[in-house]
Amino acid sequence: MRERLRKALVRIGGMAAKETLHIRRDPRTLYLALGMPVLMLFLFGYGVSFDVDRVPIAVADLDRTESSRALVDALTASREMVSIGAASPGEAERLFRSGAALAVLVVPEGYARDVATGKRTRVQLLVDGADAVIANQLLAKADGLVRAETRRLAGPGLAGREPPLQVKVWTRYNPGARSALFMVPGLAAYLLAIGAVLLTALTVAGEWERGSMEQLFASPVGRLQIVLGKLLPYLVLGMLQLLLVLAFGVVAFDLPIRGDVALVFLVGLFFLVGMLGQGLLISVVAKNQLVATQAGALSAMLPSLLLSGMLVPIQNMPVPLQLLSRIVPARYLVQALRGVLLKGNGLDVLWPELAALAAFAVVILGIATARFQRRLA
Amino acid sequence: MSEPAVAASGLTKRFGDFTAVDHVSFEVEKGEIFGYLGANGAGKSTTIRMLTGLLAPTSGHGRVAGHDVATSPEAVKASIGYMSQRFSLYLDLPVVENLLFFGGAYGLSGTALRSRAEEMIELTGLHGLADATTGSLPGGVRQRLALACALLHRPGVVFLDEPTAGVDPVARRSFWRLIRELAAGGTTVFVTTHYLDEAEYCRRIGLMVDGRLVALDTPAALKRAFVPGLVLVARGRDLARAAPALLGREGIRAVTPFGAGLHIMVDPGRWTGEAVERALAGAGASGVRVESAEPSLEDVFLAVVDRGAKEAPAP
Amino acid sequence: MTAPPPSPSARVQLAAVFRKEVRQTIRDRRVMFLLMVAPLIQTVVLGFAVDFEVDRVPAVVVDRDGSAESREHARRLLADGTLRRVGAVASVAAAEEELDDGRAAAAVVLPEGMAADLAAGRPAEVQVILDGTDPNRANVAGGAVARYFGEEGEELARARLEAAGVRPPSQIEIVPRVAFNPSLRTPPYMIPGIAAMLLLIVTTIVTAMGLSREREMGTLEQVLVTPIRPLLLLVGKMAPFVVIGFVDVMLLMGAGAWIFGVPLRGNPAVLVTGTILYLMTTLGMGLLISTVSSSQQQSFLGGFLFALPAILLSGVMTPIRSMPDWLQAVTLANPVRYYAEVMRTTLMRGGGFADLWPQLLALLLLGGAILATATLRFRKRHA
Repeated sequence: MRERLRKALVRIGGMAAKETLHIRRDPRTLYLALGMPVLMLFLFGYGVSFDVDRVPIAVADLDRTESSRALVDALTASREMVSIGAASPGEAERLFRSGAALAVLVVPEGYARDVATGKRTRVQLLVDGADAVIANQLLAKADGLVRAETRRLAGPGLAGREPPLQVKVWTRYNPGARSALFMVPGLAAYLLAIGAVLLTALTVAGEWERGSMEQLFASPVGRLQIVLGKLLPYLVLGMLQLLLVLAFGVVAFDLPIRGDVALVFLVGLFFLVGMLGQGLLISVVAKNQLVATQAGALSAMLPSLLLSGMLVPIQNMPVPLQLLSRIVPARYLVQALRGVLLKGNGLDVLWPELAALAAFAVVILGIATARFQRRLA
Repeated sequence: MSEPAVAASGLTKRFGDFTAVDHVSFEVEKGEIFGYLGANGAGKSTTIRMLTGLLAPTSGHGRVAGHDVATSPEAVKASIGYMSQRFSLYLDLPVVENLLFFGGAYGLSGTALRSRAEEMIELTGLHGLADATTGSLPGGVRQRLALACALLHRPGVVFLDEPTAGVDPVARRSFWRLIRELAAGGTTVFVTTHYLDEAEYCRRIGLMVDGRLVALDTPAALKRAFVPGLVLVARGRDLARAAPALLGREGIRAVTPFGAGLHIMVDPGRWTGEAVERALAGAGASGVRVESAEPSLEDVFLAVVDRGAKEAPAP
Repeated sequence: MTAPPPSPSARVQLAAVFRKEVRQTIRDRRVMFLLMVAPLIQTVVLGFAVDFEVDRVPAVVVDRDGSAESREHARRLLADGTLRRVGAVASVAAAEEELDDGRAAAAVVLPEGMAADLAAGRPAEVQVILDGTDPNRANVAGGAVARYFGEEGEELARARLEAAGVRPPSQIEIVPRVAFNPSLRTPPYMIPGIAAMLLLIVTTIVTAMGLSREREMGTLEQVLVTPIRPLLLLVGKMAPFVVIGFVDVMLLMGAGAWIFGVPLRGNPAVLVTGTILYLMTTLGMGLLISTVSSSQQQSFLGGFLFALPAILLSGVMTPIRSMPDWLQAVTLANPVRYYAEVMRTTLMRGGGFADLWPQLLALLLLGGAILATATLRFRKRHA
């Protein structure tokens, strides 16, 4: 018994060594697999944010008084919006239509008079709704700025006194509200999913495609051993990617690790095993690499990006998609990584996520092995 | 005299420090079957790839069907057929689609293409298989289809790179029948192989060793030149036990097992068949019968490689 | 010197490559499914999934006042749907635990004595504790609370001034009007972007892997020894995917209009021109990637290495304006950016050639440059 186990391990090791040799002989694959996370982190960390900044707005100031100019200044002072000028409403409209301006501010004639006499006064803000994200933020920003201007205009009468209701906001876990801290755990899940599912699907599908799988089966190495041996280097590669992503996050973005690092890698390992199983299943079903990639992209990449809560909060989705997200392993990994890294959660909180990942891994590996055996039978 | 179908002069290809083909020069006449022999890695495929315009030579010249391979590769490609080592066909397409695609690539179209494809299916014995998926066919059939694809546009010169690798002996023989018919019809055939029995079908043979063309002649002339000794075949019992006694004796050049018997190469002045028979019997063999035999190309090949190894490597 | 044989007709060669590619693609039903049906499914799912509007943020209320007034504040605060009450807890510590365990993302703490303080004219302080892991969500949730109590506070202050006989100051009001997408729904805005993204993934990776596959299988060599010109071969290989990409775009736009009410307000000819030019860049990129890859696996990875940043830096997901200047400069070389602009402007803003010629020109230049580089590299590799 012991002897058989030893032999099996030696053979798995042999297959793994062969696969590693393949990867090492043409290190471009390795560079791509390890270079991709760094590039993505870099872009996400520095390039991706939903904050509006320097949105061009056209201003049609029909009042042309000191008060109206003060209002325009108040709106553009923070540089979240910048005035690109314009005099007449017609000109402003033209700038808006051409897309040069994303909003038009119309200050009506008689603005200064209304303000001075304490009447209610209305300014118009025309917003380009084609980009709903920017539009929403613009409206909220403008609302806040105009409110502040109202208070300023009220003078000592109102502004001097303490407002009767105050709101104090405490932000936990990520007080700086930095997108990078939010993105890195999500990104880790995404990259691991791509790497593990697609690389294994491709390498195994490649063996089928070239017919070398049959040749391997003619050798005394057990079939399951062949597969395990092929998957092993990709498991190691996946763990390396996780390590790289975290290290980069810590060094470049001060990503905190508030919980137990060991738990991070445990969760990562469970996730990776499931992903490798999914890759194996795809390769068995797909048989050629082209089909395998597209199937992998469809079943692993997009769900990991969009149904994992990495970019879009899950509770915002319609109920059927929320249910669908429950079978996306990346969802649990993202939740667990954010929990450990940002909140300092331990196993007591995260055991359901870990259990879900384990369940996925067991089920998918079971199906993959069954299909694999059937294909050969 | 007309221009040769294929002419190489000083053809050389270097990959970094490694010289794959080293100043190779030869000419192939129209309608000739020209065999190109050598071990794996001797530079056969690289030579073919240069002559078919797939690889640019580092130096030297090649002319195929009257066109320079370096300056007008397109004209060369239009006048040759090429069949690569792996019979590279689209395995996911039916047989007829492979023919139609390659025909189109050579500029054939419409009814001309259809009727030519029909002709090729007839010629290569693929009737009834036109709609079969190529990947489902056995190696020998794929090989004939690959040849059909290479011949669609009636090329004057055909390059066949290891055309029979991995094909069973019966299929090999029928394939060579096709090749000879082709040459009889005036097509020049340039073929590489490592099956030495096949090389006997060639009118002339070039031998490549480590990137150099070390010999070039008809099979018979090569045998005379490289195997000057007398080749004897001994049959009988306990030959293997007796063989060592011959080795080292004056005038015995080589003793090699050959089937159940022995191939013995001797200096004709010193040894005769009877002498060898006596020597073997004296060393413990019984029922010994010795006959003289024609040297095979294998003997030539071994002699050439042997000589190549003894010579100092080229600088 | 022999006269050169007549050069084979380019039309015949192109047709042969085209026919072969089509046959190969159509024969494999799974490939057809993945190229045509899968993008459709993805668009529908993504259209529903990608909604950047934050609402229903799970929140707990810690009402330490317990008065009728504080309960009324809690009710009205939650009424607009930004926050969704998932429970009420007694203490701040209990609320923090809810946040730790991820059951709630915001906690609103109404202070003890709130009603009494307000009645007596003393300031009261409402606390909000937010889960900051998702900064966007935290912002929106915090903003909703601040806005509600800000407005309430102003009303109170105004009422007090009036009670004291002071004339309240003027109030400036913003009258918002939203053009093109009045209800500010995400799908009409996302669907064109998603189409650009899916088209990129499908076409770039399929062509990159297709050529690598021919190289792996040895068929490429067999083709290269025919007198077909490299450019013809590449164009012939791309052509069927232009058709497929086109059908994809029509399917996606149809689904977008039918399911999500995405309009088509502009000139359809602009959309057609833009799609052809865009496909030229994505397919050309696929070919370029395959000329530097040694296997299908690498082609795929290379395709991704191009596709992911191209999507991120396209403005589809996040506004280009929010990027640092140097990254904004990088996006100028990104075909996805231009195509997303073409799509959004024609569909939503009703743009025509007059508005979009710079984007179309950019796509043409990029496509030409990419194809030329791919052809050169291809020639260099196979000469």
